[in-house]
Formats: sequence, C-alpha cells, structure tokens
Amino acid sequence: MEAAISQIPIRIIKEQELVIGPLAWDEARKVPGLTVDQSHNSVSLSGDNKDIINRLVAQYERIFGKASHEVCREAVHDIVAQMPAEEVPSSLK
Amino acid sequence: MANNDTPISSEEDKKVREELYKQNLELARLYKQVDTLNKQRESLVHLINHKVKGSFTRTKFLFAGMLDGTFGEISSEIRKRAQQGLDFDNGGIQTVDLVLNVANLQNGLIRYDMKNIDLKEILFKTIEEEKPELNAKGLKLEINIADDKYNLTGDAVWLKEAMHNLISNSVKYTKEGKIIIGLEKSAGKILFSVKDTGLGITDEDKQNLFTEGGRGKNSVKVNVDSTGYGLYTVKMIVEAHKGKVWAESGGPGKGAQFYIELPIV
Repeated sequence: MEAAISQIPIRIIKEQELVIGPLAWDEARKVPGLTVDQSHNSVSLSGDNKDIINRLVAQYERIFGKASHEVCREAVHDIVAQMPAEEVPSSLK
Repeated sequence: MANNDTPISSEEDKKVREELYKQNLELARLYKQVDTLNKQRESLVHLINHKVKGSFTRTKFLFAGMLDGTFGEISSEIRKRAQQGLDFDNGGIQTVDLVLNVANLQNGLIRYDMKNIDLKEILFKTIEEEKPELNAKGLKLEINIADDKYNLTGDAVWLKEAMHNLISNSVKYTKEGKIIIGLEKSAGKILFSVKDTGLGITDEDKQNLFTEGGRGKNSVKVNVDSTGYGLYTVKMIVEAHKGKVWAESGGPGKGAQFYIELPIV
C-alpha cells in the first residue's frame, strides 16, 4: 500500500488548488518532509508518510479552518477506502 | 469591530480567512458541477451527431431510393408515403443541425469568415428561398429597402442563417396577412427587420425568446417542431458580429417585429 499512500499528498494539493489556487502549493511547500514540484504536478516524501500527510492536512486547517480538513478527506476517500486501517493517516480517518 | 484605523485581530483575520475559504469552496463545487454538465452535454451532442443524424440520413436515402426508382416501381400510395417519410427525415436532419450549430457556436468551434459583404444581396437570396413557403401559405410579402449600399464586415453564411431564421419564424407563426421585410441604414448601423401579422408574443414569452431552448407557450401550439434553439442561434451569431437582436409585439394576436442591428465596420 506504499504506492497508495504516496498518491495522497498530490491529490490533496490538487483539490485545495481548486479552492484556493496556487496558494495550495505554497502552503504545501512549508510542510517538512514534503518536496513539491509544481511545474511537474508532483511531490516526493521523505520520512514517515503518515506524519507528513497529517502535517499537510494540519497546515491547510490551521489557515483555512475545518472546511479545508473536510476537503482533504473528500479528496482521497477512494484511496483511503482501499488502504488497511492501520496505514491510514489519523487526519484522514 | 475593526475599522480602517484599527488593525484586525488575529482571531478576526482567521474568521475572514475561513469564511473566504468556504465561499471559494462553494464556487469550486459549482464549477465542478458545471464542468460535469458540460462534459455530459458534449457527450450528448456527439451522440446526436453520430447516432440520431446518422439514422435520419440512412432512412432519408431509403425513401429517396424508393422515390427515384432504385427499388423498382412503386404504387402512387407508397410514393406518397415515401415523400412524407423523406420530408420528415429532412425536418429531423434540420433540427439536429440546428442543435449541433448551437453547440459548436457555444464551444467556439465555429470560425466566422469575416469579409466585406453586401447584406442586401444576402437578404434577397434569403427571401428567394423563403418564397415557396410564403406563397404556399398565401401570405403577402412587402420589401422595404431604401436605395443605399449595405456593406459591412461579417460572415455571409451565418448572417444569412440569422436572417433566414427570423423570416422563416415569421412565416411559420403567421396564418394570414403579410410579412414586411426591411433594411435601413443610419448612424453607422444597418437595421434588418421582419414584421408580421401573426401570432404575436406575450410578455411572458418575450423573457424566454432568445434563451437556449426557450420556446413560447403559444408558439408550441402552432409549431410543434419548435426546438427553442433558432432564436438563440440568431442571438449568438448577431452578438459575434457585435450587433443586437430584439423583438417587439403588441401582444397575442397582434403580430411581431424582429430586428437585427449590425454595426458597419
């Protein structure tokens, strides 16, 4: 399921981009462990994937509130549905 | 409450940010819905083009074959029915083409061939094409065109389509009386008009006249084949030429007047 979890950050960023525009990428850049390449629409993770995703979700929520947390959840619900529960980041449960 | 002199607190700043996010989210959701509907619509147009028009075209050639003797001798009764079938198919193809034209105009797939054209010449050609239907209904035709040059920059094919649409509409919705077609020039503009002694337009129907799929309640009673796309097509064509189209009527039973105003560019 490593491949599935690695799809989550980009899916979240792209969904946030629909709401807040390029700011979604700027905020993602501030998350430790997440390297963002906006020109190629890609990100890479270094460290604990679950922690990085939790930090990304928290980054948006800190600035834009609970609604942004829901957007993150909705954006990846199909990926999360196929992952074993123990591998799902707590922010997306 | 913050004003221009007092900096807003971080709490207020957070509230504003969260509220803006929610508004943007609502817009993003609406955008997604519109995007989905547009894709469904494109898919429907594709279906109409390939399946519905294809079916009409195939049966059209069957009926045409029956009429021209391809399938051998046929009785006069069969000939009559084949001619009806051919007419129905032609009507169906025209309707499909109208809907497809609207879709293509909306998607920007129509490229206007803007040239210096003589609108009067185009109008006369259009009138000639309308005469059989006009004569069949026994309607009188009056043409009021002041002696002048009616040149402008435009697409001859699409402006002809727009004028044809308005004249044809007047003929359809006029049971008896006359159709008056006019062309005049003033202050850098050309005004084309069609006036009839027909059904007229209610105030309620006026609101829907030039909208997509907008059919008047009374018009449907007279013209069951009304698609509601004709006048919408006219509006798109005229606006692409930076012109205006509008309708006037004294009310039901009092006839209608349609106008197209085009700038002389």
